[in-house]
Amino acid sequence: MATELTVLPTQNLEAFKGVKKLTVEEYFTSGHRTCQGCESALVMKLMAKAAGPRTVILGSTGCMYVANTTYYSTSWVVPWMHTQLGSSGSAAVGTAAGLKVLMRKNRIKQEPINVIAFCGDGGGADMGLSSISAALTYPEYNFLILMYDNESYANTDIQLSSMTPYGANTTFSPPGKARRILHKRWKKNVAGMLAAGHPECRYVATVDASYALEMMNRIRKALTIGGPTFIHSLDPCPKGWDYDPIQSHDLGELAVETGVWPLFEIEDGVLKFYGKSKGIAQGRKRKPVREYLLRQGRFAHFTDEDIEYFQKKIDLMWDRWLIPGAVCIEMGDDIRKQLARAEQEVAAAEA
Amino acid sequence: MTGSIEVVYRGIFQKTLGQRITRGIVLAAVKEGKVGISFGRYGDSPERNGIPAKSFAVVADNEEDLQTYLSRYEPTDNDVTVVVDDTLCKGVESWAWYGLQPINKLTQPGGVVLTTSMQSPEELLEDCHRKDTEWSLAVLKGIASFSGLWVYKDDHTDVRVLGAIARLAPHVVKLESVEAAIQDEWQDELKVTSARKAYERVETRKVGPDEGNPEKPYEFQLPKWWEMKEGLVIPGIPVKQDVEGWEGGYRPGRNPTFKKFATRTMRPVIDFEICTKCTLCWLQCPDSCFDVTPTGHYDANMEACCGCGVCEAVCPVEKCVTMVNEAAFGDNASQFEMYEKDTDTYKSWLKGKIEDKVTTDRYHGFQLRGKYEEEVQEIIREVTK
Amino acid sequence: MSVSTKAAPVADQEMLISGCAAIAQALRLSDIDVVTAYPIRPYDTVMQAVAKLISNGELDAEYIVAASEHDQFEIVKHASAVGARVFCGSSGVGWMYAMEAIAVTPALRLPMVALVGNRALDDPGAFGCEHNDALCVRDLGWMLTWVDTAQEALDTALIAYRVAEDRRVFLPCAIGADGAFLTHSEVLVKVPNKEKVDQFLPKYDRGDKLLHPDNPITIAPQVNEDWVMEIRKQNDDAMRRARGVIQEAYRDFHKIFGRQGGNPFVESYMAEDADVILFGQGTLSLPVKVGIRKLREQGHKVGFVRLRWLRPFPTPEVQETLSRAKAVGVIDRDYSFGSPNHGAVLYNELRSALYDLPNRPHVISFICGLGGREVTLDSVTEMSEILLKVAKTGKVEQPNYWIGVRG
Repeated sequence: MATELTVLPTQNLEAFKGVKKLTVEEYFTSGHRTCQGCESALVMKLMAKAAGPRTVILGSTGCMYVANTTYYSTSWVVPWMHTQLGSSGSAAVGTAAGLKVLMRKNRIKQEPINVIAFCGDGGGADMGLSSISAALTYPEYNFLILMYDNESYANTDIQLSSMTPYGANTTFSPPGKARRILHKRWKKNVAGMLAAGHPECRYVATVDASYALEMMNRIRKALTIGGPTFIHSLDPCPKGWDYDPIQSHDLGELAVETGVWPLFEIEDGVLKFYGKSKGIAQGRKRKPVREYLLRQGRFAHFTDEDIEYFQKKIDLMWDRWLIPGAVCIEMGDDIRKQLARAEQEVAAAEA
Repeated sequence: MTGSIEVVYRGIFQKTLGQRITRGIVLAAVKEGKVGISFGRYGDSPERNGIPAKSFAVVADNEEDLQTYLSRYEPTDNDVTVVVDDTLCKGVESWAWYGLQPINKLTQPGGVVLTTSMQSPEELLEDCHRKDTEWSLAVLKGIASFSGLWVYKDDHTDVRVLGAIARLAPHVVKLESVEAAIQDEWQDELKVTSARKAYERVETRKVGPDEGNPEKPYEFQLPKWWEMKEGLVIPGIPVKQDVEGWEGGYRPGRNPTFKKFATRTMRPVIDFEICTKCTLCWLQCPDSCFDVTPTGHYDANMEACCGCGVCEAVCPVEKCVTMVNEAAFGDNASQFEMYEKDTDTYKSWLKGKIEDKVTTDRYHGFQLRGKYEEEVQEIIREVTK
Repeated sequence: MSVSTKAAPVADQEMLISGCAAIAQALRLSDIDVVTAYPIRPYDTVMQAVAKLISNGELDAEYIVAASEHDQFEIVKHASAVGARVFCGSSGVGWMYAMEAIAVTPALRLPMVALVGNRALDDPGAFGCEHNDALCVRDLGWMLTWVDTAQEALDTALIAYRVAEDRRVFLPCAIGADGAFLTHSEVLVKVPNKEKVDQFLPKYDRGDKLLHPDNPITIAPQVNEDWVMEIRKQNDDAMRRARGVIQEAYRDFHKIFGRQGGNPFVESYMAEDADVILFGQGTLSLPVKVGIRKLREQGHKVGFVRLRWLRPFPTPEVQETLSRAKAVGVIDRDYSFGSPNHGAVLYNELRSALYDLPNRPHVISFICGLGGREVTLDSVTEMSEILLKVAKTGKVEQPNYWIGVRG
């Protein structure tokens, strides 16, 4: 098999060495119709800037489809095509496969072309999860799937998705007189799940557009490493989270600083925390989640107990998960003992 | 006989407010034995923060008169056009269609545009486009009431507008029925008072066809079916625009058919003297609105800025970027050009904008739990006095 | 799966292959670029045949095993947008599972060719032939054709690419093939050589609709009510143009391959002088023809007309071939519960097509062969006798009959 596997070269996009070294061109530009302070629109802009002009982008249904491309005009400079809500994985595979075979048959010029398919949390973590999972098993195609997670079906009217945080107010989980909390699920850790389950996927990362440079460099790495890759971005949404749009950037930072949103990348199976999450993973104090929650109208109905519960879940993630943010599994006693023994043996051998 | 009211509001921020007003009209009309409907303009849904949207109330003496309105998106002969944010007087541009609709376009001849505002009618008329027929401009003193999707800021703007409508269009709803409807809906005597005070205080001014903003609003001609490219294909945006007289610098290509003139409620003013060219405003702007000038400054292009304020939030230099009420501006000219042309004039212009508390003291929505409650008490004291 | 292509056989050859394998040969000859597979009986034997062609180096294409039918159709949709010639297919509920992707394709004007190995819809889970799966796309802008032999399957697949990829059309095309009878039976099929096929079928050229960095376009933005009617009108226009393009394609096909010289849209069998005509599509044509020969021997003037293209519907041809008959019986291998006269899909389509004729025949609905039940000679006799009675009396006692149902 290995001898028959041909992977096309990628564009080798080197990391931007600081904000002053960024390219000036925009490949997703103004005149889209998103909300004021839309972080997902910023994600689109940074994603396109990081990828550059030789890129094809596929966008599944969601805000970044409906609001960005309202018929007869567009905000895309690079070629862009709509795909169905659950089809970001299929769109990436189909586009990459089409380009690959046409290059092989010399019907189009042979050159590395970035293929990026994006989806929202509804399209990615709910409806399209199977298609993304399938896509990440094809080692022979180069593409990036980016999930912009604004934690609800924000385009359709803020209905809850499997990525909506516990207890948040959505049109499908309104706090009422009899029941304050209708939504009791805890959101999936999609990046960790996809990294853990797809050995052919060489790069998975979580990003946050408040840290623009770090984000773009992770996109460039994903596009350079080759094969199928996945990036999960957390995007504050002024509409659904109910906050003044001027706070978009701050809330993106707070999500990281409170430990709600751990930033990590997994390259060839090796996980590294980066940015402020690195310090947190090394034991630096997290800001209380209260600071994050009280600034969003979607949590306005939270009592102190609710906030405490939320904090406890975040603490649990950092204290008990095998890898905070990525693997919600603890090691059993047997494995712990085995590892401890192995360590002792190594130490003894070294001594 | 029918009566129709449109409420023009800022998407999401004033969605609940808009609905409360149009529902209130229908509930009041019912008190008079009339029938009515309240509905949002379907094309505005899903609403976007800040992008203009509309809600309507139509009341009639009987069901038959209502029928023509039951399958329409937008009544075109409104007795009153209610504008709950005065910056909307510059016009309405939906996210879902092209062209700028003057604020009074769907106000019937002789009808009223009612706005909550701290501006004088003369100031407002600089923004409102001219109309062929005579119309009236009514002002209800107050700042725009903004909140978000989940937490409503109940500063009585809803009932105040209802009270004012009773004064301006008594054939649609009378004050007594408005009062009765408010009492039914909210069981709040103070809200009834607010409505009554607004009824008394609303001020109206007749406007002739020769008054108002003479600018021709941007119109968009819809193409014929055979003129559209098949396969749902539209051309992408060119990556760059050439700017006359610029050597260096960069102005990105921009969507030529959708500009955010009508989306902004605030805009950034920039002190180029203290700008350190750190790139953050340019980099973090979700609307790619900043042009990179040949000098390496970042100039917020008003074609593209939607006024979110992220640039102010990320700017590391104090008072370098300041968000100012959109009402304080009469055009969309480049600030950098003004700065280049005459630095001193620019500096005094900038000072005027920043130091005018009336124009800077404004924000969009929920910032911290408890903030609305504090503010609302003072507002209610004022409007019920 | 990159595999180098061996030289294709040069001369026409005759092969003993199934309808699905015949289509696979057409795909090889069309040099398709991307194909997606997902298992469901009976269409999937075509994908098995394609896999063999690829692993043996006879076809160079990306062969993608998808995770569902929806993925299958979405993948080829996107491959088609970047300029690849694609093939896909499914059966029964698999086709329904892909329905979202199938529904969006016509407006995108992507010339996908798909095989529907007709199969009854669940529940109950059944493998046999029923046409309701493919018929679900009859209103969506897909061209829809039915074949009745493996040879016709091969020929039609080549014609389908030629028509679908014609820039005057740019519409997807579904080929209906009856499960079991056509998909699985092996018969002798003439497989043409590649040179002839190249002469008939030009390369797929997406032109200014190509999604590629050299042609930066945006495809399929969201629209509101200001645009939808115009877009639908464009699709309507393309479907109208397809009629002429189909005729052109058959003319050229006949010239190059010497087959398919008859009417592209309908096959008329002993219908010219017939008093009564049976009308249907797919493999049921075969027992019907046998039955008709027997009835003719007995002196009954019975004929048969087989519909080959349901979309675009050949109204003039249908009117022309049926207008002289006294009674027409439409055999539906499908159902449309609660429809006019409790007839089924073809019946209602046909009645509508005949309505404007000054002298129209009586039309009777026969629901027959559902779930893959055989359409027997006895059934043919039974239906013919009902029609002969109608023709004789000029009266329709009952508009609809279920043929071959127990009870």
